[in-house]
Amino acid sequence: MTLSAPELSRYHRHIALPELGRAGQERLKGARVVVIGAGGLGSPAALYLAAAGVGTIGLVDCDRVEISNLQRQVLFDSASVGRLKTEAARERLLALNPEITVIAHTLTLRADNVLDVLRDYDLVLDGTDRLTTRYVVNDACVLLGKPLVSAAIHRFEGHAMTYLPGRGPCYRCLFPEAEEGVVASCAEAGVLGVLPGVLGSIQATEAVKILTGIGEPIVGAS
Amino acid sequence: MSCTIRIPSPLRSYTAGAATVAAEGATVEEVLASLERRFAGIRFRMVDEQSRIRPHIRLYVNTTEVTVLSQPVRSGDVVHVICALSGG
Repeated sequence: MTLSAPELSRYHRHIALPELGRAGQERLKGARVVVIGAGGLGSPAALYLAAAGVGTIGLVDCDRVEISNLQRQVLFDSASVGRLKTEAARERLLALNPEITVIAHTLTLRADNVLDVLRDYDLVLDGTDRLTTRYVVNDACVLLGKPLVSAAIHRFEGHAMTYLPGRGPCYRCLFPEAEEGVVASCAEAGVLGVLPGVLGSIQATEAVKILTGIGEPIVGAS
Repeated sequence: MSCTIRIPSPLRSYTAGAATVAAEGATVEEVLASLERRFAGIRFRMVDEQSRIRPHIRLYVNTTEVTVLSQPVRSGDVVHVICALSGG
């Protein structure tokens, strides 16, 4: 995947990194990453992936933007309220970087559609706010052999972990099961607005590390 | 023996918001019993009626995962309670 002259300029600060270089940037251009949940985590993750030049970004969400989202979901602005998140986010990402492709998947992921949605992507970032969806996504990544970068937040606390097939434990290995409602949602418990910014940025960092082969992903010990 | 327990965000309603509390005990079981005496109800959020660690909870003594509640705890150890989070 060769880079055009405008792309060489756009990504100059990446290309100037010897560890990443032109070859790494070309790998980003050729990559397909899907972000599950265009919310607090998905917002910074998708923005940084788009800015980094990930060639194809999929966004999965079925919700519309609410005014209470704007405290942390930096993909959206006041004019986005009431719009489908996938559509508003797609416009925002393409405004940031028109060189990339953004695919909107406006749907709820379930066991009967998840394999079809994830199959064509190289890497999955999970930032959903539903525990049941976390397990659906995790199990699909295990079945498909896809890398998964998962994160979750609650009040002032967050987790992030990377699953690489054959390299370490998956989300279900860590937490075998968790029923919906066992942990209060952010709507109930609150969340500091910058927290998903931190965790979503970690997810984007992990994606860039995995796609370019630089650094060491935060894979757990088996 | 005195140790420190790090409480995850979803369970801090039991500890009046405290992220770190002190507890006594020579095993994880004793430490959890000590915690329960101070903060009634918190143990059941981590361990079920059969004394099995709940599947959305992970316990660590320092960096060693707890697989049985009889696992020893030494003075000065830190017991980490990790809870699955759902927010996105």
